[in-house]
Amino acid sequence: MLTITDLRAEIDGKEILKGLSLTVNAGEVHAIMGPNGAGKSTLGYVLGGRPNYEATGGSVTFGGEDLLDMDAHARAAAGLFLGFQYPVEIPGISNVQFLREALNSQRRARGEAPLSGGEFLKLARAQADALGMDQEMLKRPVNVGFSGGEKKRNEMVQMGILGPRLAILDETDSGLDIDALKAVGDGINRIMRAPDKAVILITHYQRLLDYVQPDFVHVLEAGRITRTGGPELALQLEREGYGVAA
Amino acid sequence: MSSVLELPTPKLEEWRWADMQALRAAADTVPRDSGIKPADLFLDVEGPRLLFVDGVFEPAHSRPGPVKVARFAPETAHPLGSMAEGEGWVLSLDPQVAMTGIQIVHLGSGGESHVPARIMLAEDAVATITETYAGSGWANRITQMHLARGARLMRAVRLVQADGFVSIRDEAQVGEAASLVSIFLGAGGMGTRIDGALTLTGKGAFAEMGGALLTSGTQKQEAAVAVRHEAIEGSSRQLWRAVAANRSAASLAARVEVARHAQQTDGEQSLRGLLLDRGATVNLKPELEIFADDVKCAHGATVGELDKRALFYLQSRGVPESRAKALLTHAFVAEALSRIGEEAVRAAFEADAERWLEAAL
Repeated sequence: MLTITDLRAEIDGKEILKGLSLTVNAGEVHAIMGPNGAGKSTLGYVLGGRPNYEATGGSVTFGGEDLLDMDAHARAAAGLFLGFQYPVEIPGISNVQFLREALNSQRRARGEAPLSGGEFLKLARAQADALGMDQEMLKRPVNVGFSGGEKKRNEMVQMGILGPRLAILDETDSGLDIDALKAVGDGINRIMRAPDKAVILITHYQRLLDYVQPDFVHVLEAGRITRTGGPELALQLEREGYGVAA
Repeated sequence: MSSVLELPTPKLEEWRWADMQALRAAADTVPRDSGIKPADLFLDVEGPRLLFVDGVFEPAHSRPGPVKVARFAPETAHPLGSMAEGEGWVLSLDPQVAMTGIQIVHLGSGGESHVPARIMLAEDAVATITETYAGSGWANRITQMHLARGARLMRAVRLVQADGFVSIRDEAQVGEAASLVSIFLGAGGMGTRIDGALTLTGKGAFAEMGGALLTSGTQKQEAAVAVRHEAIEGSSRQLWRAVAANRSAASLAARVEVARHAQQTDGEQSLRGLLLDRGATVNLKPELEIFADDVKCAHGATVGELDKRALFYLQSRGVPESRAKALLTHAFVAEALSRIGEEAVRAAFEADAERWLEAAL
């Protein structure tokens, strides 16, 4: 589904990713762990197409297409979902308006008919219910006044509505209490654990992996993946730290 | 007449951003058919309707109801407002009478036109008025308002002239516990000067004047509003949003004056500008002059560009860049239009803003 080959990327002239390679197949969950400053969030942003995060070498294919050649909105329409560590607050735009606009933009880009208001509301309410999010929050401005946990639940609701093929979740566990962590973990499993979908979990800690069992754990250090293992590698890192486990 | 216009000059502080050249050019234009059907300019709202074409009342497309058409010369020292004498309209409501859905449409074909208006609401009377400016030429207007105790007036003014200039002078006296709300939207290609002088004369009076000015090309729009608190426990609000694209300029000057005895005044000024292009200009000038010592006056003035993080957030969910910009800009503007009480009117104003954004972005 996703093939990253020798990816190099820089921000404002500073090289962060220095030859990163990774292959993610359908049906797999990959966890990417690593110390601060290793390039984990940069990887997410480069794959998501954030301006100023410039790929300077290597290649990324998504479903056989050149991902780096696509605009950010086209990547989303192709089935890529980027979950933000710090979801942005947008005053003046309601969750419902934003999500309907996003979903129908994607559907139009894929040549599908847009959903009517009624069809969309039914979908949105079902996803909010499944994630334990108050229906009233759908009417509120995007992320405005939401707690850290509510923002992450909102990200999961968005993921459920948009139905991506690949979710790249950047430190989705940060700022969550135990209940919210479990809800988000359940959401990832329910929405993304399918033979035709895949997940890249970018995380510092083992605790989210207690709820979402990864198939592969990768250690990202100094801009490249230095080790790959199974779920036991995350436990070892948690126990011994990145330096000791090297 | 236009060749001898005596207009304010930018040397005067209160007129420093005023585009009087555009006004003069609009006054000198040769009348031409606008191609606009007057019926298309009225919103689908029940109530009295008046159409003025080039400043002349047009009975064929009007049903004035209680609104009277009359010739008069308003007393004012305002340099543009004082020119607006002649045929105009008067709304005078008796105590506790409510008249909603009044629509005044001004359609210009070029040249200059002057229309005075007077609104007098007796105790506890209620009125809602929507005004629309379309076509071209220089439309010069003055509206003098007097609200007695407990009266309430809601005005929504949409400026959608294709070109030319619209100058509006509002002068209001707001009595005890009375409420005046005037919301403007400048979403046409014309130059604009919205000039307000609101005086809160009664205890607990409320006055609000605000809206959104959207400019593109080399267009200039501005609003200059002064609110004076002369009685205790009054509150006022000036919430303006300016969006400037290309090499255009939008300017907002808002002033609050609190007299020595106007204690417990609560004034709010929020002036915010959004630059869609680096060559555009937004001028903001909030002013406070407070002589009372027990008052609350909040003011804020900011100018910026679209939030790049929000822009990427929308794009990352599949919204194309131009649409994401339109959504964020619309959200910025919507706050200023949200105070329009009648849903159908508010929806029409939001649609005007949406059309402007689609063309500008």
